Amino acid sequence: MKNRVLLAVVAAIVGLGVTIGIAKFLMQREYHAPYRPDPSVIAETPRDQGLADQKAEQEKADKDKPYQEVEYRAFPKIGSRVAIWMVAQLHLLFAAFVLAVPLFALIIEFIGYRTKDPRYDRLAYEFTKLLSVSFSLTGTFGAFLTFMLIILYPKFTSYLVSVFSITFLPYVLLFFAEAFFLYTYYYGWGKFSPRIHLLLGLGLNLVGTAIMLIANAWLTFMTSPSGISEKGALISTWDAVHNYTWMPINIHRIIANVAFGGSVAAAYAAWKFLGAKTDEERAHYDWMGYIGNFVAICAFLPLPFAGYYLAKEIYAYSQTLGLTMMGGAFSWLFIIQAVLIGNLFLAANYYLWLGMGRIAGAEQFQKYIKYLLILVAICFAVWATPRSIISTVSEVRAMGGSSHPALGFLGVMSAKNTAVNILILTTYISFLLYRRSGKTATVKWAKTGNRAQLAIFLAAAAIVIFLGIYGYFVEAAVRIAFSIPQVLSVLVAMISVTVIDVFLFKNAKKAGEPRWGQIAPVSQYVLIFIAVTFTWLMGLMGYVRSGLRQHWHVYGVMRDTSPDAFTPTLGFATKIVSVTVLIFFLLISFVFWLAGLGGKKDWEPKPPKAAEEGAAA
Amino acid sequence: MKVPVSLRIAALAVATTGFYTYVGQLVPQKEVHPPEEIVIAKDMKPEEMQKVGRQIMEGKGLCFTCHTIGKSSGPFRFPDLGGIGSRAGTRIPGMSDIEYIAQSMYEPSKYIVPGFNPGMPEISKPPIGLTDDEILAVIAYLQSLGGTTTVTMQTKLPWQAGGGGDAAAGATPAAPADAAPAIPAATDSAAPAAAPADGAAATPTPAPTPGSGQ
Repeated sequence: MKNRVLLAVVAAIVGLGVTIGIAKFLMQREYHAPYRPDPSVIAETPRDQGLADQKAEQEKADKDKPYQEVEYRAFPKIGSRVAIWMVAQLHLLFAAFVLAVPLFALIIEFIGYRTKDPRYDRLAYEFTKLLSVSFSLTGTFGAFLTFMLIILYPKFTSYLVSVFSITFLPYVLLFFAEAFFLYTYYYGWGKFSPRIHLLLGLGLNLVGTAIMLIANAWLTFMTSPSGISEKGALISTWDAVHNYTWMPINIHRIIANVAFGGSVAAAYAAWKFLGAKTDEERAHYDWMGYIGNFVAICAFLPLPFAGYYLAKEIYAYSQTLGLTMMGGAFSWLFIIQAVLIGNLFLAANYYLWLGMGRIAGAEQFQKYIKYLLILVAICFAVWATPRSIISTVSEVRAMGGSSHPALGFLGVMSAKNTAVNILILTTYISFLLYRRSGKTATVKWAKTGNRAQLAIFLAAAAIVIFLGIYGYFVEAAVRIAFSIPQVLSVLVAMISVTVIDVFLFKNAKKAGEPRWGQIAPVSQYVLIFIAVTFTWLMGLMGYVRSGLRQHWHVYGVMRDTSPDAFTPTLGFATKIVSVTVLIFFLLISFVFWLAGLGGKKDWEPKPPKAAEEGAAA
Repeated sequence: MKVPVSLRIAALAVATTGFYTYVGQLVPQKEVHPPEEIVIAKDMKPEEMQKVGRQIMEGKGLCFTCHTIGKSSGPFRFPDLGGIGSRAGTRIPGMSDIEYIAQSMYEPSKYIVPGFNPGMPEISKPPIGLTDDEILAVIAYLQSLGGTTTVTMQTKLPWQAGGGGDAAAGATPAAPADAAPAIPAATDSAAPAAAPADGAAATPTPAPTPGSGQ
């Protein structure tokens, strides 16, 4: 205890000593105020003066700053090129839909008017229901694209405006006219006499096509400029409009738009079919899907020919441009394209074969399907065979070059032309079998007619295959020219066989009407697959059409000097295309949903509980 | 559990686009950048000119989009350039190898190699737009393919900007001084494809540029 007291006393003394020591230490470092001049003597410090001078200088510099034109501005994160690319593609996809749907809606309405069958009128109206929101979205994306061009590429946009200045006002006026026709056509359904309504539809189509022709002039000028001096000054607006690729693009786009519009409308029908509650609904949407797909495939068949015409004109304008497309940076893109088109043909045929299931008496043709499938598969494989193969050094040595010793022969133009023509003929045969399902010709010359059709098919196939093989033994100039007789023989065969078939099956004996709605649900997913593939294909071909210019805004006239002037890899391009396609389908789903709202019951407030109970009592 | 239709459709759309994106990754991946400008010194030696000429042909000139060098068997899109150095001087009577190759680039439509279609663009104009000095370097490289490089950076050609038509003034050993005033209008096989194969090829025409001494 004593020890503890002693320890406490010692601790207290030590603590006191330490406290005093600290206090003394701090006292020695007491704060002394620094010297400050008398404020009355010096009004401003040198720093204040410096700041004032700086401000004055900045004000003077701002006043004297000259106007400088900005060449490019950067879009955050993804860059200007990708931003413009996606917006332009979305605008084009909606524009294609808005231009295509009125085209076949009018035709279907006209068929309904002529046949007095109200189903056609209802179908045409259902297609048109998809238009009004799509039109708004097209306009919104168009404005978005225009602003993006002005902001991100001001110099280039200014140049295009200077070349095409006189086309812009008519374009805007036509847009007003299109809005007038579209909304009158849609809201006036059943309100006018059929003829007046058909005329409104015709007006809508004419104005829509005129808008497309003007817009096509701007974009084709960028690829194949004309009507300007060597220094880029405008000489003739008409020549600038009517450049090398203008008309081929016009034709190609009209056909492609119809194919695309048909496929998207068929996808809408498929979506409605899959969600249908009654047999009547299923029958209607099955029929609508069939018509949409029929329109798409009819337009799709001549599309490769329109593509040839476009490619020919690109070569005619510039061999360099043509070779960059087919033999240079973009050559592998056409292998991807072959995979897409092969899938489209395969899916289109599959849908037709599934469709035979809803027709009584179609069994007799089903045995041919396996042969058609083999043909389609072979042609698909040939078309997708590349000329050169990605291989290791040892593989290249073993093959004796980058081409496979046997398969390499399938990678050239002769083989691919032959494959695509046979593919078209095969798909046409599938359609013909579908058309004939459940029918028996009653005309006296039925046998002769059948034989004539078979002879025409065989002759066309023989011409296509012969020229395909002969192409390996002639010079390039001759070989390229072979594609024309190949294409013509297929076209002539399809037209003449159709004409014979129409007369052959006039007043034919029918085993029964198609049982609409009685088709395997998987067929509807095929329609959606076709729509997605078409859209993706449009995105890919839009990329090659635009990317072809490489580091030129206007080919050979205005160079792209932005950081995005390079051509990206195909892998990167396909990613952008995919993202754009998915955004498009997200937006078009919204359109579908809106179009479906019209058929729903009006909202009504729920009756109050008390009233409900009272009523129940 | 039943998967809603809208979800199935969405899955199909994503799977389809995913598949095509995957296909896109399987093909060769190459970024193509704008051609780099190559600095051309006026005092380059023939060996240096050849090297630069080859670089230009691979890059800015885009020559190998259409032409090959030393390909022994067809099909050929455009003439193979192997051995052009030995052929060029004999292709058109009265025309030196330098003039012949130069004309192939400046005025490719003057002469078309038999068996080929016209298609070669004027290399001195956009979109390719090689400068006069770059063209001289390309000539040096092409001369070396089976021949000897005689062109120099001082060689004057009738097509050059500023009227370099006085061929005599240039140190062009292969081009006699009196050849310049009347350059024949032909070109050859080496020429990346050129003009009408209508016989105009063999018809000498006046030099097209001023200052040619006519």
